[in-house]
Amino acid sequence: MADAMNVGVNLEAFSQAINAIQALRSSVTRVFDSLKDGMKNKETLEGREKVFITEFQDNLQSVNRDLNELERLSTLVGRPSESHPLHNSGLLSLDPVQDKTPLYSQLLQAYKWSNKLQYHAGLASSLLNQQSLKRSANQMGASAKRRPKVQPSTLVLPPQYVDDVISRIGRMFPDMSIELFRPNGTSAVLLVTLGKVLKAIVVMRSLFIDRTIVRGFSENVYSEDGKVTDHATTALLHYQLPQMPDVVVRSFMTWLRSYIKLFQTPCQRCGKFLQEGLPPTWRDFRTLEAFHDTCRQ
Amino acid sequence: MGVTCVCQVPLAEGKSVQQTIDILHKKLEQLSAVKQGNFTVDCETYHATGNASGQPTKLLYVMHNSETPLSCLALFEGGPCLTADGNFDVLMIKLKSHFQNAKGHKVESRGSRYRYCDFLIKVGAVTMSSSARGISVEVEYCPCVVPGDCWNLMKEFMQSFLGPSIPELPSVFATKPEGLYVPADCVDTMTQYLELFSKVRKQQVLPGTTR
Repeated sequence: MADAMNVGVNLEAFSQAINAIQALRSSVTRVFDSLKDGMKNKETLEGREKVFITEFQDNLQSVNRDLNELERLSTLVGRPSESHPLHNSGLLSLDPVQDKTPLYSQLLQAYKWSNKLQYHAGLASSLLNQQSLKRSANQMGASAKRRPKVQPSTLVLPPQYVDDVISRIGRMFPDMSIELFRPNGTSAVLLVTLGKVLKAIVVMRSLFIDRTIVRGFSENVYSEDGKVTDHATTALLHYQLPQMPDVVVRSFMTWLRSYIKLFQTPCQRCGKFLQEGLPPTWRDFRTLEAFHDTCRQ
Repeated sequence: MGVTCVCQVPLAEGKSVQQTIDILHKKLEQLSAVKQGNFTVDCETYHATGNASGQPTKLLYVMHNSETPLSCLALFEGGPCLTADGNFDVLMIKLKSHFQNAKGHKVESRGSRYRYCDFLIKVGAVTMSSSARGISVEVEYCPCVVPGDCWNLMKEFMQSFLGPSIPELPSVFATKPEGLYVPADCVDTMTQYLELFSKVRKQQVLPGTTR
């Protein structure tokens, strides 16, 4: 309540101060107008000078008055309220040119939209995960009551938790070493070395895998993408489970680990090692069997 | 940079060295391999002088490979080996009193270099004092560094263009099937070439050329 009162007083003084600024501006304009117009036409020179000087003094005094008024009001306005800190995005709202660069309002809309999207996606996934054999009527009733429940956000996880999950997975597979780096901010970048066969760089966003690049053991990272990189990207799109991202990471690592025998296993379908010069680079997502890229369908 | 296998290919029935090489080139081109230039591997022999009597003369082999043009390899058969700068040849001239060059024993293999997917294939004619003695084929599989893993894969590939005459696992691999190659100085590759050249040297005259 005290805040509201203070805000009221501030606003009152604020509007008066704005009026005072306008008055000051007009009196200053009057001063310069009278100087520009010069002396008015009178009979004698002294008369003209006297009228001019009087007018000039009047104008300056009105400027002085307005300035004093403005100073008095400015002491009443006080500091802007700091009870709603907006941090960096709030600084965008201070941009006065709203027509040309409506950044802040667009930012707020985008944020609300993404929140709603995440909420709806959570609802959709919980509905789609239900078995189709169950009687849908009862389930719908039950979930309708639970709908307002807020879904926990798996996008914002503490880095320590991510570290723990990754190190646990690394210990699960003895022939696969996972090193974790955080070169830019909180996104983890994993360097997975699989025996002496390949190295993979996995970029993560909290516990979700964002992108992978796979290279041979002695290859330069900046060489062209090969078939296995494409397959790894397909795998990370295939293993999706928004509610349990650590299961996703474990499945992805298990799938990647099947590549340890990349050069040793023949293709399950044609029985040969090479097809157009390539070994079987495709690993089935469920059975982890090796196929040539052209043999898999 | 990968696993390399060097083997000798017997001549085709009733054909000369050059004709057999042409047949191999045609087979490679049928597989849609791309020719990428030429290669040379050569080997010079030096006798070590000043040995105690009764001991066999130790032979030092100095080899060059166009894959690593700025270095050369000096090795004793079955013994230690040294990777050195290209100026090592000049050094050997300075060491004339200790190592004598056996000039007639220089063997070299010269030919074209093909690339197919991740494979590098080099088919060359082995010559000793400008007489063709045989054909050498080197197949390198670049992505893999462990010989034990990809031997079956390489055998299948070599079968596709060499036909039935596939070599068995080189002895270099038998000693370290799980070991990493040392890619920088291609010691294992050159050891295999040395074995091939020694075999060719012992094989005094090529049987096909007398006809």
